[in-house]
Amino acid sequence: MYYSAVATPANMPMTRRKSYGRSCVENPSVFWQTPGHLTSNRIPTSRRVARSHNITNKVDPEQVALLVKHEWKLAYVTPLYRFQHAQLKRYSKHLTAFIVAEKQQGLAVEVGLETGFKVTLSTVHGMAETEDDAETVFIQIHSKPAFGTGALKTVWHGWLTCVNGDCEYLRSLPPDFVSLPLFCSSGSESLSALVRSWFERSFDCNFGPLFLNSTTLNWLAALWTGCHPSSNIRFLKLNWTMPTQPSLDIMYTVNPQDAWELWNSIHSEDGTDDRIHIDEVRQFMNGLQMHFFRHFKIYLSAGTLMKVSTSLGSAHHEGKIKIGSSDYISTLLTLLTECALQRIPV
Amino acid sequence: MDEQALAILQRILRKLPSKKTQRTLRTWGCLSAEQLEDLDFTQPKWLILENLVSKCEENRLRLKDVTKLEMVYHMENPNQGTWHALKLAEAEDEAASVDFTQFKEMFVSHLEDAVQHVSVRMKKQDDGAVWIRTAFGDNLTRPNHLKPTYAVHYLQTPYVFILNLSAKHKPFLYQALVLSTRHSAINEAHLSGRSLTALRDLLMKQYQQVFPNQDRTLKERNAPPSHPNIDKEHVNIAERSHQMACEAFGDGALPKLESAVYKLKTRYRGSSEHTLADRDELFRGVVKFSSTNLLESLRHCVSNSMAEGPVTPLFSSITQQGRNYFVITEKVPEATSQTPACTT
Repeated sequence: MYYSAVATPANMPMTRRKSYGRSCVENPSVFWQTPGHLTSNRIPTSRRVARSHNITNKVDPEQVALLVKHEWKLAYVTPLYRFQHAQLKRYSKHLTAFIVAEKQQGLAVEVGLETGFKVTLSTVHGMAETEDDAETVFIQIHSKPAFGTGALKTVWHGWLTCVNGDCEYLRSLPPDFVSLPLFCSSGSESLSALVRSWFERSFDCNFGPLFLNSTTLNWLAALWTGCHPSSNIRFLKLNWTMPTQPSLDIMYTVNPQDAWELWNSIHSEDGTDDRIHIDEVRQFMNGLQMHFFRHFKIYLSAGTLMKVSTSLGSAHHEGKIKIGSSDYISTLLTLLTECALQRIPV
Repeated sequence: MDEQALAILQRILRKLPSKKTQRTLRTWGCLSAEQLEDLDFTQPKWLILENLVSKCEENRLRLKDVTKLEMVYHMENPNQGTWHALKLAEAEDEAASVDFTQFKEMFVSHLEDAVQHVSVRMKKQDDGAVWIRTAFGDNLTRPNHLKPTYAVHYLQTPYVFILNLSAKHKPFLYQALVLSTRHSAINEAHLSGRSLTALRDLLMKQYQQVFPNQDRTLKERNAPPSHPNIDKEHVNIAERSHQMACEAFGDGALPKLESAVYKLKTRYRGSSEHTLADRDELFRGVVKFSSTNLLESLRHCVSNSMAEGPVTPLFSSITQQGRNYFVITEKVPEATSQTPACTT
């Protein structure tokens, strides 16, 4: 095959290493087999209140604008072996060659627009919050028009990031590994699959779908609602799906001011402790569900919370997010980084 | 054929579902039997369309023939677009005796009094439905046949269903409807959906309803002391919730509604601690239920114990009042009554 001519770090040593990133235990989902202190650290019961800060002071506004625009499909990634930010130019070439080779497979002659691809990998400086966080890597795939010298058209975007990753975990990684556990992509699934497969071959890592459970969605609902006084959230929209025949979708849009007053009656900000506790989050969501129940007598707990959205962003159960405002991006990415790290097989 | 007629003709022909094309053209009746036989329906659609258009041109069809085809299309496909229900009120004594001819004459003359350029086509169907196609213009422009308004009225009933009515033409159409049916007012029924049949069935109660059953209550009252058989208990509970669900929503196939919307402005009724219960302001929100068949989903929800019985009036009002848009407000802030009041 053509792409095997491209030397990638992973296929140079042909023997199979014991990989830190891949699952070593038989069943990767068995959390409780890992040392207790690690798991307990990984599922926090409280987190910092979302504070607005102008990220464009730290990060190139053009790059921030790219993150805010699209709907992203989420995945988790195990640590990358021998990934170096200094080598991004080389990786761009390799990934381009890989995609072109894969797209040409099974074709006798080179035809169509599809074969003209150009990939760029770049670092988004300033997204990292702690010293242990690796810098975010942004990937763009452009397609070249077959004729003439028309402009390149971006057909796919994606990025790998780590924001406020659990420092104990990050420090426990062997030195050759870089952890960028959260992968967001936007574009055709076939290109996403090619990018994933190139990363998996090149850096001996593993991708998997990242679903957002109701606890995560509840956290986001509370964190975003708490932002209302400083940044108008415009609405708090909660979507449930009930397992009826045919299925029933329930969309509850709460007035932002009323949602905030409810939140404020549960979570008092006394200045000394700017943390939100899981109990408060539960009370808030229970309160909203109870209010709903008193009117419609439907047990929302029989259904699934599918989506939470405000003007600051939206998050879908199936692992899709939209970033509405860059001011709260780090709160969102901290939470998602944590979800991704939890999903990574230990 | 002039340009406008041709444009509308092509537009409708493109919309015709292939399976029903032949039948629609026959109902239309502007092409001869030979011409219809001449058409080869196994051909690709664009070719059929080309042949059709040339045949229409042969017959020198005019705009009014084309609008007739459009009307036939809508009558045969009453699930296109969103229909809104209206209800006539305050019937005069003569209301019960208005027949189709009278209605038609009055409607056209009232509308022409109000709008200078307007084109009306009307047809009464076998089921008693009067279909009205109205193309509005204004003082200077000819009627716009590209954006016609459809209204369906059942004579001697207070119900009217409307498709594609702009706010600008609303008062004219409402007034013509009120006057020609001999009523004094017309109100929004707060019911809308894609299926005209479903809206009609819901308002005219033409679906299989279940009424609270005397037998059931009697059986319950005279039931022997419950046997400690848990299975039986469960069967009873399931039966009861199924009965309850059917009483609220009906039995068998239900009218196909897509959504119901509730605007809530009520006192906060969440959990007791840390509440906003003492607050004077109301807790505001909008709840939208949607499904491919909302009533079936709700019935399933209730009969499978995903909801607590009895069925809340908020849901049973959908079938009982024939509405799917509600504004729920608390009566008076000072009042101690905790029941949400249904107002428009």
